[in-house]
Amino acid sequence: MATTIPSIVCLGVIGRNNNPLHTSIFPSYDPSSNSYHPIRTPLQFSLILSSTLDVFELRSHQNQAAGVGLTGDFGLLHAVDDRLAAYGFETNTGTRFVVIVDMRGRRIDNAVAAGFADGRDKRIAGAAAGLREGEMRPVFKAMQAVYIRLTQNPFYDPDEHSSPLGHGGKKIMSKKFTEDMRRIGENWTPGITNL
Amino acid sequence: MASSKASRLGEEVWKTRMDKVNAELVVLTYGTIVAQLCKDFDSDYVEVNKQLDKMGYNIGLRLIEDYLAKSNTVRRCSNFRETAEMIAKVGFKIFLNITPTITNWTSDGKQFSLVFDENPFADFVELPDDGRAQDELWYSNILCGVLRGALEMVQMQVEAHFISDVLRGNDTTEMRISLIRYIDDELPPEDD
Repeated sequence: MATTIPSIVCLGVIGRNNNPLHTSIFPSYDPSSNSYHPIRTPLQFSLILSSTLDVFELRSHQNQAAGVGLTGDFGLLHAVDDRLAAYGFETNTGTRFVVIVDMRGRRIDNAVAAGFADGRDKRIAGAAAGLREGEMRPVFKAMQAVYIRLTQNPFYDPDEHSSPLGHGGKKIMSKKFTEDMRRIGENWTPGITNL
Repeated sequence: MASSKASRLGEEVWKTRMDKVNAELVVLTYGTIVAQLCKDFDSDYVEVNKQLDKMGYNIGLRLIEDYLAKSNTVRRCSNFRETAEMIAKVGFKIFLNITPTITNWTSDGKQFSLVFDENPFADFVELPDDGRAQDELWYSNILCGVLRGALEMVQMQVEAHFISDVLRGNDTTEMRISLIRYIDDELPPEDD
């Protein structure tokens, strides 16, 4: 049987007014057909992303009460089922990044798996024990960097997307942004420290 | 002046005599100007190019004094090739800390290209995706105006324009500069 490791199946960016800014979906491994395809439909992913919003709200109230974590990693938001789990990050301006991970999303060769079975490879350790605390940090760091790049573009108008007055609602159309998101989603494996 | 000497001069002036500002300040300020122009002229990019060139021209007229003072230039360039060297290795170096490559000389030595490996103005920039900006807008067109203005103050009438830009998806960013004529110092009007 092939060994599977966690992989990213969806990256979401949500604006301060709870408006969707960007969604990228990645295929995950299906052992029955030995091929890769998305584990959920775009609508279902969108619902999972929406369901994280309440958790964000709750955590940010808690953080505010405790006086910590204005910008930062919110950790595991909720575990959808035994495969999917959603992790979140919120910036000080209220922009949220959500990563949905499939615990068995990517297949690796048995040979590779055997070679690293003694624990030298963190990918296997991660798959066995679930994801460690902070495993998502490089992903959020990379997403934030890409988002910062986007906002630095003089032709990107934040007001059109999520204005503080509650108008806007445009999605992010930038090709570069979409490409970078794809790169992050495809390249992440457990244990990776830099994206 | 030999090419290596120009590089050394540029390097030294950049290190010792120039005040530095934060690069993001420059990127964001220039970006805002261009974006605002695009808004003001209703995305008439031909007009935006023209305005940028005009702004650059006015900058060039002033900037040349600073250039001459900082670089301690005491004599004229003996030919246009030397001028090109000084523009690329001293001018761009001390004001923007970049050294564009000089290439594609015509045989009469009156036209050359500056190829920009990096362009501090264009960091983070992605042109609007409206199907026209990619073909019409020269994002860094202000630089053409700067060169035109600065050279005019030292008796050279030139024409400068971009012919490719990485922002448009080209492989390089290239500016073409042609010497039109040396302006003779005008004689003072006769007395009677």
